[in-house]
Amino acid sequence: MAPLLSVRDLQTYFHTDEGTVRAVDGVSFDVDAGETVCLVGESGSGKTVACESITKLVPMPPGEIEGGEIRFDGEDLAAKSSGELQGYRGGRIGHVFQNPLGALDPVYTIGDQVVEAIRLHQDVSKADARDQAADLLDRVGIGDVEDRIDDYPHQFSGGMKQRVVVAMALACDPDLLIADEPTTALDVTIQAQVLRLLAELQEERGMGLLFVTHDLGVVAEIADRVVVMYAGKVMETGDVHEVFDRPSHPYTRALLRCLPGRGRAFETIGGTLPDPTDPPAGCRFHPRCPHAVEGCRTDDQPAFHPVEDGAGRNSPGPLGDGETGDGTAAAGAATDGTAADATPAEGRQAAETAADGPRDHEVSCLLYGPDHSLPPDLLAEHAEVDDD
Amino acid sequence: MPSTSLDDARFTAIDWDDEERGLPRPRWRTVGLVLALAVLAVLFAYDFLARPQQLVGALNWDLNRIDWLLLISLVLLGRYVLFPLVADRRRTRRYVRAFLGRPMALGSAVVLLGFVLVALVGPEALDRSWARLRHANQPAFWEKVYVADAWDYHCVGEMTNGYCHGSLAYPLGTTQYGESISLLLARGTRVALVLGVSAAMIMGIVATAVGTTAGYVGGWVEDALTSYVDVQQTVPGMVVFIVLATLFLGNLAGVTQGGLFAVAVVFGLFDWGGIARLVRSEVSTRRRAGYVRAAQSAGATDLGVIRRHIVPNSTGTIVTALTRRIPLLVLAQTLLAYLGLHRAGSKSFGRLLRPDVEGGTSFVVTLLVLLTISFSVFGDEIRQVLDQGAEVA
Repeated sequence: MAPLLSVRDLQTYFHTDEGTVRAVDGVSFDVDAGETVCLVGESGSGKTVACESITKLVPMPPGEIEGGEIRFDGEDLAAKSSGELQGYRGGRIGHVFQNPLGALDPVYTIGDQVVEAIRLHQDVSKADARDQAADLLDRVGIGDVEDRIDDYPHQFSGGMKQRVVVAMALACDPDLLIADEPTTALDVTIQAQVLRLLAELQEERGMGLLFVTHDLGVVAEIADRVVVMYAGKVMETGDVHEVFDRPSHPYTRALLRCLPGRGRAFETIGGTLPDPTDPPAGCRFHPRCPHAVEGCRTDDQPAFHPVEDGAGRNSPGPLGDGETGDGTAAAGAATDGTAADATPAEGRQAAETAADGPRDHEVSCLLYGPDHSLPPDLLAEHAEVDDD
Repeated sequence: MPSTSLDDARFTAIDWDDEERGLPRPRWRTVGLVLALAVLAVLFAYDFLARPQQLVGALNWDLNRIDWLLLISLVLLGRYVLFPLVADRRRTRRYVRAFLGRPMALGSAVVLLGFVLVALVGPEALDRSWARLRHANQPAFWEKVYVADAWDYHCVGEMTNGYCHGSLAYPLGTTQYGESISLLLARGTRVALVLGVSAAMIMGIVATAVGTTAGYVGGWVEDALTSYVDVQQTVPGMVVFIVLATLFLGNLAGVTQGGLFAVAVVFGLFDWGGIARLVRSEVSTRRRAGYVRAAQSAGATDLGVIRRHIVPNSTGTIVTALTRRIPLLVLAQTLLAYLGLHRAGSKSFGRLLRPDVEGGTSFVVTLLVLLTISFSVFGDEIRQVLDQGAEVA
């Protein structure tokens, strides 16, 4: 089964006075229907640009999609003009942005704004659109819809506004929802509510959800699969349980260590993101990587290696408790109510047969290549992580 | 407020049907606008082709070009300002409440309303008779002048002890030609407001179009437009008009005949640079607003985004800039009339300021100061009211 969205080797560059910024430099990932994929990474790692490239919301110029393929339901969106994409934006692909405070126009009532979103893609009368809008607002949890539909955005709290924004994004029943840090601007209790809402809506409608966040706590909550990005490249990708249980890229490990509340002292990653106009050769993480070896500093970003198979001989001790491949996925589906029943297994199957992209747990790290053995400290760390 | 602007318009209009996709369903407000403009066009064609003595003979009513311009302005004003206010009563109530809470806003609005009233009915209401030379140099009604030693002086009011008292026949007195100063002031006010509204309409449309295009599109379009504005601003409308007037005044019955129409067109087309800059900077920040991105990500076209979100949210800037521009136009027109450079001069404030016309100078200055201040205050206040009404969180 072809994935709903399949991004291959996407390159989005910005041509600025300071040089070409390679915001997204060869990124590949898939999103299946009914699946939640999280793009994770530091600020500036290219997550947002990657998702905005899908429907060309990236300002062009200065931005430009230099290469790659974006297949959505069989169509290559990268080859379409911005005008052709207007039918997709909001119609089949919905967007939710980070800051709900700015996402609503202060001049119009929220009802009017949801109605606008509906009528952009559906030829319905104003009255029908209003009924639909009321239903949607009710669904996203705006109580007293009849009273509140004619209120202005300033009469709503941040969490309520984000619910309205979600309602607008869902107005035309999209197949794919792209949510760019939708909860970052909200306080923690509201975050949980909005996340739950998104998860429910996704299950209800069987849509794909591409979720951008830097918050690994959110990832653990919502994701089926994780794509870890760093400086415009994918570092590691895989099932959320696999990535959290066996983080293989030193960067992923570092990210996880930054997560507070794991019983350790709060840690940070030393150094800063590389200059995006002049990224380092080799693995982009090597200047900050404690495990970098000579080979990491030359050539290109290392190729992807499957964590379980290719790195088998390097495999650091017991990998979890007997769970392999399908077992993990099944466990994932069982524990994670958000996933549509059949999908993870099917996705896994596709991953096993398809060699066209990162579907399995894979890592772009030289240490996992056939020529390397994991350095002892990394092995020790692996064991340590497994102990948690 | 009728005198505010023309472009308030799209901001308050919540017209979802403007966004029509698929089959266009014309709305009656659009139909109304088209109809009103069509009626004007038919009347104009009749006037232009048949050339009747008077357009509406029974009413002793004829129109010249500036009147046509004014009528168009008023139709647009109705469509884009009054109609939205009437259509969205909740919003209007909010604005009114915010407005009433601001004494300065209320005060300036009352003063401006007074000017509008005077301009509307003053010239006819005060026009009791033709100017009589015998009635020259009458004092204002609260004044008295010693005229016992004046030769051949007819006092209209009472004479006591050689003093002539003013009378209500000429409340503000007369010039040395026996013209009623109150009548001249009323005519001047009409000229000022007609010019202000017409020129502001042209400016508002051009400046909004240019500023929005530059701010929204960006890139080389923005560079080209802003460079053009820079160049144009080095040649003020005043200079253009004076050059045209000196070249053609009295020679040609064209645009440059120096009438009010010419003033409105020349200033309307050459003096919008400053407003366009303000609009541009406003739009280029609005362009990055969350709701603009949201609308784009929902599949709205650029034109739709501009009409639905960008212009409405820039209304405060446009309205304020225009209301601040109107008194400058009035002053410029007064100056041109003072210099004898435009034909409507005989009715303008400018003539009363001329040294060869006695009486009335202080009244004109007072009026101009009042008009300028109340427009400026009104502009600032209306912006506050619009912002407060929108209450950007």
